[in-house]
Amino acid sequence: MTKTLEIHLKSAEGLKLNRRPLKKKTHAVVKIDEKERTSEPDESRVSNPTWNHKLEMPINGNVQFIYIEVFYRTRSGQNKSVGEAKIPTSDFMGKYSPEGHLNCLSYRLRDEFGDKCGIVNFSILVKSDPKAVSDTGLWRPRSDTPSIDGYGGRIVTGVPVWGLYQRPY
Amino acid sequence: MGNCLNGDMKGGKQAIGGVQQRPTSTTAVANNAALNDAVDFFFRSRGQYPLFSQIELTLSASNLIDCDITSKSDPMAVMYLRKKDGKLEEIGRTEVILNSLNPSWIEKITVSFQFEVVQTLVFHVYDVDTRFHNVPVKTLKLKDQDFLGEATCVLSEIMTRPNRTVTLSLTGNNTAGVNRNLGTLSVLAEETIASKTVAEINFRCVNLDNKDLFSKSDPFLRISRIVESNAAVPICRTEVVDNNLNPIWRPVCLTMQQFGSKDTPLVIECFDFNTSGNHELIGRTEKSVAELERLCRQKEAANFVYPSLSHGRNKVLKGQLIVDRFVEKVQYSFLDYISSGFELNFMVAVDFTASNGDPRTPSSLHYIDPSGRSNSYQQAIMEVGEVIQFYDSDKRFPAWGFGGRTSNGIVSHAFNLNGASYGDEVVGVEGIMAAYASALRNVALAGPTLFSHVVDKAANIASQSLSQNSPKYYVLLIITDGVLTDMAGTVDALVRASDLPLSVLIVGVGNTDFKQMEMLDADNGRRLESSTGRIATRDIVQFVPMKDIHSGQVSVVQALLEELPGQFLSYVRSRNINPLGAPAI
Repeated sequence: MTKTLEIHLKSAEGLKLNRRPLKKKTHAVVKIDEKERTSEPDESRVSNPTWNHKLEMPINGNVQFIYIEVFYRTRSGQNKSVGEAKIPTSDFMGKYSPEGHLNCLSYRLRDEFGDKCGIVNFSILVKSDPKAVSDTGLWRPRSDTPSIDGYGGRIVTGVPVWGLYQRPY
Repeated sequence: MGNCLNGDMKGGKQAIGGVQQRPTSTTAVANNAALNDAVDFFFRSRGQYPLFSQIELTLSASNLIDCDITSKSDPMAVMYLRKKDGKLEEIGRTEVILNSLNPSWIEKITVSFQFEVVQTLVFHVYDVDTRFHNVPVKTLKLKDQDFLGEATCVLSEIMTRPNRTVTLSLTGNNTAGVNRNLGTLSVLAEETIASKTVAEINFRCVNLDNKDLFSKSDPFLRISRIVESNAAVPICRTEVVDNNLNPIWRPVCLTMQQFGSKDTPLVIECFDFNTSGNHELIGRTEKSVAELERLCRQKEAANFVYPSLSHGRNKVLKGQLIVDRFVEKVQYSFLDYISSGFELNFMVAVDFTASNGDPRTPSSLHYIDPSGRSNSYQQAIMEVGEVIQFYDSDKRFPAWGFGGRTSNGIVSHAFNLNGASYGDEVVGVEGIMAAYASALRNVALAGPTLFSHVVDKAANIASQSLSQNSPKYYVLLIITDGVLTDMAGTVDALVRASDLPLSVLIVGVGNTDFKQMEMLDADNGRRLESSTGRIATRDIVQFVPMKDIHSGQVSVVQALLEELPGQFLSYVRSRNINPLGAPAI
């Protein structure tokens, strides 16, 4: 089942390129499965850019990670990557996040060598597809001891099959 | 020392005083000596009125010595309070001013003026050599900076002067014989006005005069307030726009505390930024906040005036100040939310690990004295319980223990303190005490010390309330003897819970080194990072060592409630949640 994510790319802090603070125009890209969406670039060349870009993307129910990558524009006009953050969907579609809750999240960006290169701040609001019927009422976190599941910890819908079994009286 | 040439230019051009904090920033909404209305309310309800008033100090210095080689010093002032044992406790810092030996700092330091206590204030002035652009001033390490001088005075001395200002000479604290003139420091004290109105103003200028030779001016605005003694106290500064005679600045947020009242005259000066630190005045104008609002509404512009040196008339310039946008917002306080019906719910977790000592030996933190004297845990529960009972709406607290071996032989890190299998709630502080006493008899102390299970349990309860849409905020109180075994797991649990309406107050009993707890408290500005790369959305932890409270330096109420209003406000403000029934902003 698909849901729509309303993603608000807010800002980033401490962006570094080769361990030195970044001073170029930057923009952020959200990747879910194969789809990508880009924010407007922040023209002020600071290492704490603010984008404040809102976008909506559909997400399939069994996606495990979404990616947010920050790019900078070189003098020759090319876009190069500063770093990427890998966000498990359980962080915004899981135990602690009922539908409709605005999840304000921050993630560590790591570059291609795995070094830390900044923090990206964003928020995600999960909206259910209005066409989907069955499971909106079941989006309640469980009350037993928590554990981190790989599939977002959702409750499975079971449909009783009437008439197949008859009571012996 | 790669910065001897020019200091941090970017840092010198940033806006000061009128910038709204990012909701995710970990710098607390209220600094630790500022008005804490939660503490105030607690005492007033018992008929104890505060015997202090909140004072705001504005600092300026002149004739500082020059520590940088090719430019001037970049000074910053730090203020301390000298405690009874002679140690210095930092109260606040000003911002860093680039390239100036006569700085007038804009950031004010708040302190509470207690009438019956002698409060010795110590000021240290430093030359900041490291980068300070976009670095919170709190995180600058003082030992990396150059010391420029120190001054001491007593707060009541300032308050009793007619102008409420005092000028002190700076002295050095190391070299004995050399008695250089290190300059002077002036301190002005004013009472703070607690207010909720914030004005957000967008300024713009046109037709400014060009003061630079080979390029255009780099203008910025400085807004000052005129105080009773006719001195001008700077309250904010916009950022510098390079090379532009028609600049547009980012919006400036002024609180009523900064501008006094809507009719207080403000002096708005436009300067041309020079890297030497001598900014050239382009023009000035005097307007009150009410007049600025009128300028915006009627789409008028105010002309800048250049003050003439002789007693002739001031020269009216072509340059004009335009107010593009003027919005008045209300910032609700913590008490506004509570009194409107926002519920605070407390939960308690008690440490049952073996590091406390065998409860049968008198040296154990869990020793039940037959003569009736309370042990450290009982004392902590009673003192802390008084406060939380006051603020909790239904006086029912879920109570858990962790690190103990329950009757079924398994070590649990979140067992019900009341020993019941049906529910974990106890009623009132007496309920917590009774459950604690019975748990001591039935549970064997074990280990290791893990907080992650109780934090997860609290986070679960907090997230369940989200789907119910009723405004509740949860506070988990962990009473522990200190050393965490699984720091990474605890950090992970805290980061997972950082986006929820939850605060974690850790109370430390005993005499261990609580360095790990102080790391969790994140007061130094470093946000917690989990093992999956997620960073805590906000600082939800506060740590209180009981031994500080028992030595009489700070009251239980003050220590516990110090960060709570700030953490609560950071949650509701970042989501634009208003007090119930209040009109939407």
